[in-house]
Amino acid sequence: MKIAVFLPELLRHLFKKPATVDYPFQKLDVPPDFRGTPYLDPAMCIVCKACERDCPAEAIEITDVDPAEKRFKMVIHNDRCIHCAQCVDSCPTSPKAMKMDSLYEIATDSRLKLKAEWVYVRAVLKPKAAAPAALPAEPKA
Amino acid sequence: MAVLRTFLYLLVYPGLLFLFVYSTFCEWFDRKVYARLQNRMGPTHTGRFGLLQPIADFIKLMAKEDVVPEAADKRLFSVLPAFALAVVATAGLLLPVWNFDLARPGWASFPGDIVVILYLLSLPTLILFLAAWSSTNLFATIGGARVLTMLFGYEVPLFLAVLSPAILADSWRLAEIAAFYQAKPLLLLVNALGFLVAVVSVQAKLERTPFDIPHAETEIVGGTFTEYSGKKLALFRLAFDVEMVVASGLLAAVFLGGFPGGAVVGFVHLVVKTLFVIFLLSLIRATTSRIRIDQVVSFSWKVLAPLAVLQLLAVILLKGFLR
Amino acid sequence: MSFEIPIGPQHPALKEPISLRMTVEGEVITGADIRLGYNHRGVEKVAEEKNWTQNIYLAERICGICSHSHATCFVQGVEKLMELQPPKRGLYIRYLVSELERVHSHLLWLGVAGHEAGFDSFFMYTWRDREIVMDLLEMITGNRVHYAINAIGGVRRDLDEGQKAKVLEGVATLRKRSVYYFRIGATEPSFVARIAGVGMLSLEQAVALCACGPTARASGWARDVRKEDPYAVYDELDFAVCTADTCDVLGRVVVRVKELLESYNMIEQMIRNLPGGDIACKAPRKAKPGEVVSRYEAPRGENIHYIKANGTDKPERLKVRAPTLGNYPATVEMLRNGFIADIPLIFAAIDPCICCAERTVTLIGARSGEESVVRMSDLRRRALARPENALLKRNAVWPF
Repeated sequence: MKIAVFLPELLRHLFKKPATVDYPFQKLDVPPDFRGTPYLDPAMCIVCKACERDCPAEAIEITDVDPAEKRFKMVIHNDRCIHCAQCVDSCPTSPKAMKMDSLYEIATDSRLKLKAEWVYVRAVLKPKAAAPAALPAEPKA
Repeated sequence: MAVLRTFLYLLVYPGLLFLFVYSTFCEWFDRKVYARLQNRMGPTHTGRFGLLQPIADFIKLMAKEDVVPEAADKRLFSVLPAFALAVVATAGLLLPVWNFDLARPGWASFPGDIVVILYLLSLPTLILFLAAWSSTNLFATIGGARVLTMLFGYEVPLFLAVLSPAILADSWRLAEIAAFYQAKPLLLLVNALGFLVAVVSVQAKLERTPFDIPHAETEIVGGTFTEYSGKKLALFRLAFDVEMVVASGLLAAVFLGGFPGGAVVGFVHLVVKTLFVIFLLSLIRATTSRIRIDQVVSFSWKVLAPLAVLQLLAVILLKGFLR
Repeated sequence: MSFEIPIGPQHPALKEPISLRMTVEGEVITGADIRLGYNHRGVEKVAEEKNWTQNIYLAERICGICSHSHATCFVQGVEKLMELQPPKRGLYIRYLVSELERVHSHLLWLGVAGHEAGFDSFFMYTWRDREIVMDLLEMITGNRVHYAINAIGGVRRDLDEGQKAKVLEGVATLRKRSVYYFRIGATEPSFVARIAGVGMLSLEQAVALCACGPTARASGWARDVRKEDPYAVYDELDFAVCTADTCDVLGRVVVRVKELLESYNMIEQMIRNLPGGDIACKAPRKAKPGEVVSRYEAPRGENIHYIKANGTDKPERLKVRAPTLGNYPATVEMLRNGFIADIPLIFAAIDPCICCAERTVTLIGARSGEESVVRMSDLRRRALARPENALLKRNAVWPF
């Protein structure tokens, strides 16, 4: 019967550094593609509402502020967000208007503090041109 | 003068204050060693190195709400934790910490005190059973039945193992046994087998893994402690910590040569030897998993008791040889 | 003197609420009654209100440990309905994450089995090594649980050379540690004394009660969806179905550790043979009407999703049969004639994922045999009426 087959391993660990990290005094790094919280780059947003349609948690809300000036308001409800980054994938512009950062310590004591808002004018993006832009046709005299 | 000395003895060292402080230190040591063996950190931030963590736990428990179940026997339920603490503290008084001048013994050292200390240390098991019984909770009943079943397993090997050095030293008084082995240290090696049996039996008495069936958290919720909360639970936990210190003090006095050298040197001996025994207890706790109640009884009677009898036999033969 | 012990709904041995009422005599169990429903969230109903893309994330959140298995089973079914053929590279990455998930789930289970037996050091060591897998998954997918790497038509993220090298390195370390745990789990005397001969389920009983996953494989029944019905990349990989024939908890430990070693081989094969190309193909928003049954070998057994589409962008019906639900009848049989002290181990040995198994139930009248589905308004009415006709609550049966 092998008594204490575990024992040498245990005793060896007395002299090793612990595997646990002294959080919050020491923090671990997150990898570059980590899915933190989403945020908007208003200069690129064309208000196609694909992110609002595809969000599983209904965390994105886009409303009209001023239709004449094409001004819109987007609210991202970070308390509802499940950090899946589907909004980033659904965004059709390039570079993307919806981006993901690496923040994960966003806990706070009230849900209302987790809402982020942007009010902006819808961007008009030039269509991608394969060749230099063609000169406008000269009106025939 | 003698009255003052007696009060110091009762209240300060090795009385209540010393037992309280030292048992929290020993609990810290146990938790830290257990954590390091498992490659984690253990208590770290309360006080330097987490030394104040057990005291913080005690204060937290004292501050919590104390609930007594309606069907429980209120008086018995409430008085048992204090009673447990009183019993183990009294057992602590009998440890030979002041190097008694054998010609003029103090009132705490008398022939037969090894038997008294063993008796006082087996009372907490009965108190646990009464605590479980008076809780009238299903899980507590099962825990109480298991506590008593375990008592039938480890008491006999513990008694046999602890009494072997006493037989070799020809005395029933702890101070004399310690003095005998201080004079002839080589004879300590004869009792090595008994020491191992005694360490395993003490682990069973203190209800630590692998023998923590009575309060196995994943099976019967809290076992005997299921209905206890607040101050009563704090006192129970303190009583168990003090029991750990007293039991390791007993083992150190009998198997490791006692605490010679007067007040300061004796104190250092006490700390070093009891921490050594507690280190062994933590090592056993980390190496094994919990075994079932029927396996405890069969292990005790098939392995521990025969080894203890073997030790006794060796001591008797040696004594006849030495004569 | 027989009385009833309630394990759960709240109990330190259970990670999720479930009620097991055991009738015991002394320390021996004579009968067990499993009651479900404490963790029911209405996932199948919510799935009818969300579109196909949103449902991937919903399916993923049926469980935390086997999240990828539910998402993949769902996506496989939807791709069949939409008649899509995802590119090879996407499939390889998807099933690479599947095998990594299997590794993480089995290491978690080894730790939990150790903890239920009181072997806390084993628990700490296996979970420390599980951190290697969690870091690999975080690097590949962006999160430690709920990987969300599936998209309809492929995967969402690609794997580069640096990540491939890290995965191979991690797997090499883990393989050494797993062999060590195999030795400990099978030879440490106090641990083996707890798990050998406990929770016996013979081969005939396993077949009759429809056990699945490692529970069935430990009784010698070699069933594995990856071998019988190879989906996607599994017909190109070389692996064996792991069985044991001791029919007890020790057998289940052995089967899971063997599966760990097989998974390491599969991960290395997938990384070395990773083909080039796209990672996803474009998926339509609506699915043609039809129904599909999608099967997948989750770490706990066979996971079945039934999806019915009606031509819109939302499913008409989603039905999930998680593997734990298939193992519950076998559990009742295993608990009979066991000791109370073995309850947590026997229950933990089927690797219960209780929230996976909480789906809608149909009430079948015992005498008339007719089926009925209970509405929410009925349930509410019955709950309000209960205090009048509820039985008097009694304390534990006090024997004296």
